[in-house]
Amino acid sequence: MNLAFRDIRYHGFKFFSSTLGVSLLIMVVVTIGGIIRGVILDSSTLIESTGAELWVVQKNGAHPGVGTYGPFVEISRLPESIYHAISVIPGVAEAGPIVTAWEHVPQIMRPTPLMKFMYLNALLNTQTMVKPGWMAVPRVRFIVVGYEPGRIGGPPVIVAGRGIEASHYEIVADVKTGFHVGQRVRLGNFDYTVVGLTRHMVGFTADPVIYMSLRDAQNYLFQTQPDLLRSEQAVARQHAAQLAATSPRLIPAVVAHDEARLANTLYINAIAVKLRPGANVQAIAAHIRRWEHLAVYTDAQAVNMQLMGSNRLILFQLALFRDILVLIAGLVIGIIIYSFTLDKVHEIAILKLLGARGGVVYRMILQEALFMGIVSALVGSALELLSEPYYPRRVVATSGDIVQMLVAMSVVAAVASILAVRRAMRIDPRSVLSTR
Amino acid sequence: MSTPQPKATAPIEMPESFAIQTEGLGKVYGKGANRVEAVKGIDLVVRSGDLTVIMGPSGSGKTTLLTLLGLVDQPTTGRLVLGGRDIYAGTPPDLAHIRNTEIGFVFQTPNLIPFLTAKENVLLPLSFAGVRGKPAEDRVQKLLDYLEIAERRAQHYPNQLSGGEQQRVAVARALANNPRIILADEPTASLDTDRALAVVRLLRRVSQTNGAAVLLVTHDHRLLGEVDEVIEMEDGRIASRRVVGQDGLARSQARSAQPESDG
Repeated sequence: MNLAFRDIRYHGFKFFSSTLGVSLLIMVVVTIGGIIRGVILDSSTLIESTGAELWVVQKNGAHPGVGTYGPFVEISRLPESIYHAISVIPGVAEAGPIVTAWEHVPQIMRPTPLMKFMYLNALLNTQTMVKPGWMAVPRVRFIVVGYEPGRIGGPPVIVAGRGIEASHYEIVADVKTGFHVGQRVRLGNFDYTVVGLTRHMVGFTADPVIYMSLRDAQNYLFQTQPDLLRSEQAVARQHAAQLAATSPRLIPAVVAHDEARLANTLYINAIAVKLRPGANVQAIAAHIRRWEHLAVYTDAQAVNMQLMGSNRLILFQLALFRDILVLIAGLVIGIIIYSFTLDKVHEIAILKLLGARGGVVYRMILQEALFMGIVSALVGSALELLSEPYYPRRVVATSGDIVQMLVAMSVVAAVASILAVRRAMRIDPRSVLSTR
Repeated sequence: MSTPQPKATAPIEMPESFAIQTEGLGKVYGKGANRVEAVKGIDLVVRSGDLTVIMGPSGSGKTTLLTLLGLVDQPTTGRLVLGGRDIYAGTPPDLAHIRNTEIGFVFQTPNLIPFLTAKENVLLPLSFAGVRGKPAEDRVQKLLDYLEIAERRAQHYPNQLSGGEQQRVAVARALANNPRIILADEPTASLDTDRALAVVRLLRRVSQTNGAAVLLVTHDHRLLGEVDEVIEMEDGRIASRRVVGQDGLARSQARSAQPESDG
């Protein structure tokens, strides 16, 4: 006779409501793990999706002798022409110039009532988390990535529409931007047409990516703003006029230099380098480092720099929070199982009096505890998987996380039930006899 | 003070009609100033088929004696023979198994397992004894019929049964493994006269039909007309024993309990 099954059958509501409570706790634990993994994936997606083995960035910057942490963490600017030189290094299959920056477009993204409640603490009207007026900033932030169509660095997958084919005014956007194929988007001084959509292409801030041609990106990001251009041109003309009196022969050269300076947009932020099969990564990296103004990183280094350079503290914080949650969840589950068992001491005393061996009682409690632990882990994980799409950032729980929770819950349930049964088995069967 | 161990003796010959026999059974709780000798040198024989009542004031040792006889507690001194076997002599006995197969318990409250149906409660001791399947089902059905518990009621949980039905299920559970002895601890304490007599008559019927010895601890003098023997306890000792008839009249004179030379 399976006593555990019969006890669960009889105490169905109590048992399953407790199991649901534990499931929700486990859902939170798995979600925090999923958020951590989401942040890590977001930090590495853009780098890994290119398929480049090496990333060439500007040397010096804030880290003389080391190189900048560019292109996605800090400023790195290189002349565009360098990628041609890198392309011809033996062992390099392909080198693609990359331009990247964060940009915004005015577009209303309505916060959900839940977001409003969370940020504003609206129910209490205390406005504790954000300044008033935060909703009046109706902008969508995204990352512009410019690449040479046909070369490395473009969108790895097109889920709707097509890739960029024209040299100008076409973009491919991540679905998270909310843009649709055929939509015209005003970026800077020009309108661009969304010709295709990609998926899961975000930066470490989880902002979606917009791909455009290298030329468009350079113009968009580096071209001097027209008002500033007019102002700079006026200064140049004044400069030339001053030269008229003293060095008139220099005027053409100075004017040409100023015009070239103001018009030059031929910069890139990084070069993605794909190697031929069997090429020696370290040898090619060493070759590139011989350029005094270049730094080079492997893709793993680039991912780690991205991760540790941007989300380091939030990751540590989330990991610590997850550890605390795991401890709390373990304690709560242990206490629930413990108190469930101690609720049965009278029945256990009767069972002992009727001749039940210790194993019968241990088996009953252990089976119930394991059932609760396993069902909670499965339901909690299922709830987490169902809720993943509704989070604003990527949340990715894996089957490994679920197995981990199953094992952890089984161990916690087993330990808690053994401790509880040891305590419960101390019950004196004489306690059932009335006249003592 | 160290607790003296029960003396180990060789298996003894016991008449077939003896369900349980004790010699010099004693129990001491605590040490030093807290030492309490709850039961002192009890010599007792309970015959199969007899319904014996143990009476006495509170603290006289009735329940302690019951726990010793039920193998719930281990005696400090003396010998306890059940089924011709000296329980505490030699290798440590499997008390759980002996309790399960040789002894049935009936309590003041039915003490049914609340999450098992009436039928499952009766099935429980059989399950512990390894009796399963059809033999177990047949045995349970026989007991339910014998105790007049309808099949439909047998599917109900204890809290869905009346007090009388619960007590009958408790008796059925006590009888499940056809025990040699049934120990009943104040089973009528909270019942009115009619119901109390009904319970005792049921136990009487059980003892006569099944040949089990029934040992009943009670304060209830209303029951004396239904029993075979009355043991009065006082200060941990048997003060007197009376063999009485079912008509309530003494069949033999009160006998001094010490020394007892029963049989």
